[in-house]
Amino acid sequence: MIQSVEKKYNTLNEFSCYELIYTSGEKWIVPLDEENRHYQEILEWVAEGNTITDNGGGE
Amino acid sequence: MALSTIPFSGLGADASNQGVNFRNIIINGDMSIAQRGAGPSGSFGGSGYSEGPDRWRHSLNSCGNWQTSQSTDVPSGQGFASSLKLDCTSAAASLAATAEFQMVQRMEGQMLQQLKKGTSNAESTTMSFWVKSNKTGTYIVRISDSDNSRHIAKSYTINSSSTWEKKTITFDGDTSGVLDNDNARSIDIMFFLAAGSNLQSGTLATSWEANTIANQAVGQVNVADSTSNEWYLTGVQWEVGTSASDFEFLPYDVNYQRCQRYYQRGGNGWTGWAYGSNNTEMYCNLITPMRAGPSVSYSGSSTDGENGGRMHIAGVANYTITGISDTGSQTTTGFLINVTTGGNDTQKTAGIKGCPFIMESEL
Repeated sequence: MIQSVEKKYNTLNEFSCYELIYTSGEKWIVPLDEENRHYQEILEWVAEGNTITDNGGGE
Repeated sequence: MALSTIPFSGLGADASNQGVNFRNIIINGDMSIAQRGAGPSGSFGGSGYSEGPDRWRHSLNSCGNWQTSQSTDVPSGQGFASSLKLDCTSAAASLAATAEFQMVQRMEGQMLQQLKKGTSNAESTTMSFWVKSNKTGTYIVRISDSDNSRHIAKSYTINSSSTWEKKTITFDGDTSGVLDNDNARSIDIMFFLAAGSNLQSGTLATSWEANTIANQAVGQVNVADSTSNEWYLTGVQWEVGTSASDFEFLPYDVNYQRCQRYYQRGGNGWTGWAYGSNNTEMYCNLITPMRAGPSVSYSGSSTDGENGGRMHIAGVANYTITGISDTGSQTTTGFLINVTTGGNDTQKTAGIKGCPFIMESEL
């Protein structure tokens, strides 16, 4: 079960991936790839009404 | 002598249908590869991938808790060294209507075009496998086509308690529903272990039909009804045709590399630039191309080796990795990764020792 999802930004402050954390503590960095199963899970999680955290990409 | 005139027998036994020609559509059917570890170390009550043989996913809903592992309990004299073992750690004697439990292998459509599914030439296929359980009775194997929401299911019987038995099941070809020719999930091979009444209230779908939940697992026994229950599987082969050939043993390295398309550990050889006191941007080349851009995880181990490792700056020090801040530019062959460390020497070239990272692109 997903605990949280956060947008992550690269060194150029470009949105580049998600950080996905399950309630078990398992953590994955997830690419913006529609064929990735974790990415698909995030889309379903959002469709269920959950919100992705976005702390921006600034230093 | 021209090649076309060499008698078939002159090519030796490996040229026969019993040689390696990748006729087995299942990956890791002999359960020899277990990159997540042989296990077991923990139990699960939901769906996902865990310890034990690669490529086999547990799909579990309200059927107690289970452990998966790679076992050395195998059918005698068949050439297998490993099996998939399921062990019930928390029982569900009375199943909810929606309960279900299967071991599943999900497959890409581009790996399945030889089935000619959705055409008038659709091929029949045959599934053969070795199975063992203390729980005797009727079990279901279901093929699910997620591209077209169609399915077919057949039953087999475990006749003798705790005894290895070989089973063979033939499925008709499906003249409806062409499979997508891409890297996405198209077919699930599902070995049922338990099914609630919602999945058993109809008539088993022994011919291809539009997916009907009530027809998925009619007759399936409940292997989740006791913590004494175990279930073993090995030698799984799915091939085109109406009969089962001998199991196709692949060289270990070939089987390993096929599994790495979906899961691999790495780090050795990645290099990059330490640009901040705790950050290093690195360039990752994957060991073998993966199915899709992979998710990445840090193993948490700083022991240099197959399952852990550290950041190394030549002539300076080794630094403990604390995590991954981001990745980018993911392709099936590599990506950029920003690794965080307990400290480092900035403005220096850095490398990874060991394999502290996990890449995953399962279906």
